[in-house]
Amino acid sequence: MFGGTVRGRKTTLRVPADADLEAHKRWAADMRIRRAGPVGRWHEPAATATWKERWTEQAKDKSSVLWSIAAADQLVGYARIHFDGAPHADGISIDQFVIDPEHARKGYGWDAALTLHRWAFDFMNLRLAAIDRVAADDVGRQRILERLGYVRFGHGHGVYYRDGAYVDQYLYQMERDTWNERWPDEREYPPLGEDSER
Amino acid sequence: MFGPRLDGKNGVTLRAPTLDDAKIFVRWMLEPETTRFWGGRTADFRDEAFAERHKKNADDPTRVIWSIAYEDETVGFAGLFDIDWVARDCESGIFIGRADLYGRGIATEAVRLRTEFAWREMRLHRVHNWISLRNRGSRRANEKSGYRQMGLLKRYGFRSGQWYDDWLGEVFPPGSPAGTFVPPSKGG
Repeated sequence: MFGGTVRGRKTTLRVPADADLEAHKRWAADMRIRRAGPVGRWHEPAATATWKERWTEQAKDKSSVLWSIAAADQLVGYARIHFDGAPHADGISIDQFVIDPEHARKGYGWDAALTLHRWAFDFMNLRLAAIDRVAADDVGRQRILERLGYVRFGHGHGVYYRDGAYVDQYLYQMERDTWNERWPDEREYPPLGEDSER
Repeated sequence: MFGPRLDGKNGVTLRAPTLDDAKIFVRWMLEPETTRFWGGRTADFRDEAFAERHKKNADDPTRVIWSIAYEDETVGFAGLFDIDWVARDCESGIFIGRADLYGRGIATEAVRLRTEFAWREMRLHRVHNWISLRNRGSRRANEKSGYRQMGLLKRYGFRSGQWYDDWLGEVFPPGSPAGTFVPPSKGG
């Protein structure tokens, strides 16, 4: 499936549009992004026709959701999650989370991550979010996860191979209770009063 | 199937949905302003998917779907779903996709037209629905057409730190003896 609008402060998660395909082609072929491992690599580089087929499959897949990440009107990245144990899932895994290197260091990664987790915990009321594809030297993503409230629950050794060497894998998880404790004011909607109605 | 054109008061009309309407419907459901009491804001968003869904709706004999037009502009949809043609019972639904038009009585008039059609043209015996208790606009629109509470499902929906109860309503044709409790037969 594709995900609808979830607004953050600097970024918006929005429905992917056909015009975004060119960026996906570019991102899949960008070694700076691929270096992150599977969290930065949705697919291998391919022709436009193949990307369109992938797009169609993603739209039809009810076990996962793809968003484009926009800042103002500009496409700056994408996020993709899957429901663990779909269709009766109460948790998600983050499969890909990418900010275009041309837009790095603007706070978009953090803002989009916070927005994505607001959707997961405050809107969808999911119990758990996890990510099992963070490279041990990927300090940027680790900082974002730990600031959100993720805890590391696993350490794979020599899992990813690139630049002529193996790198370890870190696995993180975060529960809804942690979200509620740490981000009590991050609300998709202002809560309704005891007897109020919309 | 799609419903026929029904002209109501205050610029409200129910009319058969077009493919362009079907595309707008899904877009509305992906926006925060209209989905506090609705689904998870995810969908298959391809043009092909809209067309497929539109055709399926048109072919389905157990549902009747209308676009809601306000001053000739499509602003939502209404329908009768899961029609049991033997029991002559079905579920109803309505969605106003334009948050800037809330409070103008559009839903009230659309529900009135839909309900009247269910009795006068479809000879239905009962219509029921589920509405978030906190969704006052939708609930009041249905109550004005005669829907009455038949149940309350506690903690059915969750949004922004709060659980919402779901209001279960039902409505019968004017003068219907239905709703009057008749003890079950002892057999024989």
